[in-house]
Amino acid sequence: MRISDRRFALFLMTPAALFLAVFVAFPLFRLVADSFFKISPIAGGSRDFVGLDNYFRAFASEAFTGAGWRTLAYTLVVVTLEFALGLGMALLFTMLGRSSQIWRTVFMYPLMIAPIVAGLLWKFLMIDNFGLIGTLLHQAGILSNPNQIGWLSDPGIVLYSVAIPDIWLTTSFMCLILFAGLQNIPGDLIEAARLDGARAPALLFRIILPLLRPVIAVALVVRGIDAARAFDTILIQTNGGPQSASETMSLLIYRTMIRFGDPGLASAMGTIYLLGMLAVAFVAVATIWRPGKDN
Amino acid sequence: MRVAETSKHDGGTPATAATAPSVPAAVIPARKRRGANREGLEAGRRSTRTLLWTLLAAAMVLYGFPFLYLLFTSFKTPIDTIAVPPTILPREWTLENYANALGRNGVLASFINSIQTAIISTVLSLLLAVPAAYGITRYKTLSGRIFIMAALVTRMVPPVAIGIPLASMMAAVGLADTPIALSIAHTTISLPLSIWLMSSFFEAVPNDLEEAATVDGCSRLGALWRVVIPVVSGGIAVTAIFAFLASWNEFLFALLMTAIRSQTTPVVIANFQTQFGLDWGSMTALAAVYSIPVILLTLLLQRKIVAGMTLGAVKG
Repeated sequence: MRISDRRFALFLMTPAALFLAVFVAFPLFRLVADSFFKISPIAGGSRDFVGLDNYFRAFASEAFTGAGWRTLAYTLVVVTLEFALGLGMALLFTMLGRSSQIWRTVFMYPLMIAPIVAGLLWKFLMIDNFGLIGTLLHQAGILSNPNQIGWLSDPGIVLYSVAIPDIWLTTSFMCLILFAGLQNIPGDLIEAARLDGARAPALLFRIILPLLRPVIAVALVVRGIDAARAFDTILIQTNGGPQSASETMSLLIYRTMIRFGDPGLASAMGTIYLLGMLAVAFVAVATIWRPGKDN
Repeated sequence: MRVAETSKHDGGTPATAATAPSVPAAVIPARKRRGANREGLEAGRRSTRTLLWTLLAAAMVLYGFPFLYLLFTSFKTPIDTIAVPPTILPREWTLENYANALGRNGVLASFINSIQTAIISTVLSLLLAVPAAYGITRYKTLSGRIFIMAALVTRMVPPVAIGIPLASMMAAVGLADTPIALSIAHTTISLPLSIWLMSSFFEAVPNDLEEAATVDGCSRLGALWRVVIPVVSGGIAVTAIFAFLASWNEFLFALLMTAIRSQTTPVVIANFQTQFGLDWGSMTALAAVYSIPVILLTLLLQRKIVAGMTLGAVKG
């Protein structure tokens, strides 16, 4: 007896689908369910239905709204800088052609380094007193005192300092994707534009970037989602401090749960965070990507 | 890209310009234009090229420096590590930090945990992703299309949102603080990407292959196992590397789901800060050691990794 193709396809997909249902969908369901309860952090403790109370508490708390804005700012900074640097490197590699191959490989290495190691490393470079960056800037005559900039201790700039390892780690990713896209721009198109007298900026903004648009969209969405989830690098550098100035959404939810032992509130925050991510991602996909119009 | 790809599932129309960044072209692009016949964006003038090389050299030095500094620091004496002002090279080279870091209680065990977790997660991810991706690409059913989109949505779920319910689920079935529990958590991250990667590899396999095999009397599963799987073994290798790396470098689930018995090295590195004061020398040494296997792996398989990276991003 032969089963139909459709059955066979289903049979092949079922294990993976079951896995995702049990280990992703079910925990998500628990998260949403928990967000309506006031839960004691102790195992076997009380669990009282409180309706939307946790959501009201989340939106009323300055920590939550602050973390929301910080996550947004952090994501924008990381993705923008990464895109600019990645595009610059990709153009550089493209203009050098085949001879840059070894360097492209070298440029990829940070991608293999654990974020926790990258965070640690940059903390060591930026830390007050014996951080190398302050000292080098001082020796170069830019700073009057090696500790003039409190990279990780000044609440005004710490959110941008903790973004540096993230940018360092993943600019290569952006570069790689954009480089791949650049390879697919037909050479004669560029030649023709050059013959028409197009200069470098016009070439970049009128021809290269529009042609790269689908690739750029993918890169921005993928990296945007990742940057908005940043946790490791920030935790190891500042643990969200000083004065919560680098506390992004993942850190706040983690601390609400672990430190302050409020699973109900943390679940409500997690639910809002998840919905926010999905909403932004779908809007991004729908507007930048413009499905259908590319074909 | 994804959208363009799925429309391909419908009618099998050839890739349009929008689906252009296909991997082989991206990875070995300049091959075709050997020698002096430069075209397109490649710079021709000697002076321009000199300038570009200078820029590239500067970027590389800046980019590579942080990791080199980590390496140098790991060879400094503990006092030198936090000297004011700091020096770039060690005044005196020593292996003391390495001895300290590796000799510490639980550090070697954490390495074993990391390896175990990453291997289990990689195997699990492949066992689930390979058949699923084959089912999706070979039969193009509606359920397949829905499933691959659902898998993509999983990529947007923040680990912190499912980490805690997942941890309590594991505790409920008696798997708390085991490499198995952490491997499962890591598989929730690597499975969606593995499905997307494997789908694109299967997409490249012509259907005639297993049709010939079934005519010869192979069952559908037999054809998959004996004919199709060997053809995509390169793709399976790429997928395995990514699953392994994802688990090896992961921190949040490891922090939430492990205690003493199953702690992985990233968690131990993070704990150095609180438990032992700021022992920078040992921390940098451990961080360097933890990066070695991955750097070796990358050196060995760099071309495959670039291929997978480009594909992974373009597809999912």
